[in-house]
Amino acid sequence: MTDKAYNDCVDNFADGVYRFIVKNIRHTEDAQDIVQSAFEKLWLNREQVLPEKAKSYLFTVAYHQMIDHIRKSNKMPLSEDANFPHQQITQQHTELKQVLMHAVNELNPIQKSLVLLKDYEGYSYKEIGEIMNLSESQVKVYLHRARLILKNKLSAYAPTAS
Amino acid sequence: MQLNESTYETIFLLYIDNELSPKERMEVEAFIADNPSYALEMEALKATVLSAENMPYSFKENLKQQEWDTTYSTIIKEDLQAIPGLSTPFKNTLKKTTASEGIVVKSFGFKQNKFSYAAIAACLMLFWGYQQLTKTPASITIATNPNTLIVPTISTPSGETIISNSKTKQIASNIEPIAKTKQDATIKLQVSNSSNRSSAFKLQKETIAIAEPTRNNSILDNQVIISKLPSTYNNPISINATPLPATSTNIDTETTQAEKVSTSYEVIDTEDSNRTILIANFEIDGAAFRGITRRVSAFLKRNKSEKEK
Repeated sequence: MTDKAYNDCVDNFADGVYRFIVKNIRHTEDAQDIVQSAFEKLWLNREQVLPEKAKSYLFTVAYHQMIDHIRKSNKMPLSEDANFPHQQITQQHTELKQVLMHAVNELNPIQKSLVLLKDYEGYSYKEIGEIMNLSESQVKVYLHRARLILKNKLSAYAPTAS
Repeated sequence: MQLNESTYETIFLLYIDNELSPKERMEVEAFIADNPSYALEMEALKATVLSAENMPYSFKENLKQQEWDTTYSTIIKEDLQAIPGLSTPFKNTLKKTTASEGIVVKSFGFKQNKFSYAAIAACLMLFWGYQQLTKTPASITIATNPNTLIVPTISTPSGETIISNSKTKQIASNIEPIAKTKQDATIKLQVSNSSNRSSAFKLQKETIAIAEPTRNNSILDNQVIISKLPSTYNNPISINATPLPATSTNIDTETTQAEKVSTSYEVIDTEDSNRTILIANFEIDGAAFRGITRRVSAFLKRNKSEKEK
């Protein structure tokens, strides 16, 4: 990868990586640090990274750094099947989008990353598996489980809203 | 793809994740059209998909690196252009004299000594080929078997081989020697004149009798018959003899008319430098052969001394 290709990656992928991280950890400064670390690693390994694989490389590095950051901060459990404290959806979440984001934020980090990578970046199951070091079938199962959780939360909100 | 009550949820999830082929997507849409009760289920799942959201990263410029191609290369190029070039006289002083391009002989992987042997062999073959090309055909070239001596002969009607006349002894004394041999040859001579007496004498000379043509022996008026040569006679000398047109002069009056056969011989000096040496079937010039042997020995000595150095 040339220097110019690296700078093109900054222009094209920095927003997506930042959005993916900040949606996960909900902390802008930490997210910026993670994005900076990811691009720094890309710069150091630019000779080995092909331009067409740069986006996947950035998301992979950012995801693993985010996992490390979560473990260090010990803010969230990482088990996919862990039960999160159910927050009562309040009346303030009138907007469906806000309700959805609130529901997404209640997902565990793996489920949330799966949803974010799928919906924001449009990666396939296989590509998500490569980024998150999961098999394609694991991605499918975990993501479907996350969708059903979101659906249930949204359907639980809908009668209240109505 | 089987869409039914137990499988629809998984297929609907694949549908909203864009993991179905266009054909499968059409099947799902057809299924929903046929079963409107599943439309609400599909809408509920579609609601779980996050919509695109812009979240710009405001520190992009900090992430960018200075590009070598557009910055440093330009700076270096400008610096190089700013440096004046070296003057031509100074460049000429830096140049080295190079060897002139000549014939480059490669050893083809041979070692030096092996290549030298190959060169010697090639030279010998070239010399032999040159000899073959430049060899002029002799008028009569007789390559002798070591045990035979071929002498131009003339047969008389009586079946005798005539090589001399009655004055053999005298003529033989006038013939200058052409080659030396330490072997004795007993020649049975039969004089063809009227006395018909046979005489055998032993040639004690070291010379075999063909010599420079003189007035005395250029024309032989009578012949001597050699009936047999001893097997011990060994003279591997080729004799070039060209019979001249016969002229009848000084015919002994005692010889019969039938025996009057006169033959002239042109005897060629074989002591000259053009004498050839026969080795097996190859004819090699003697002087040239000596020259080659001298050169080869000198070359080998020089090569040996260089190796010792």
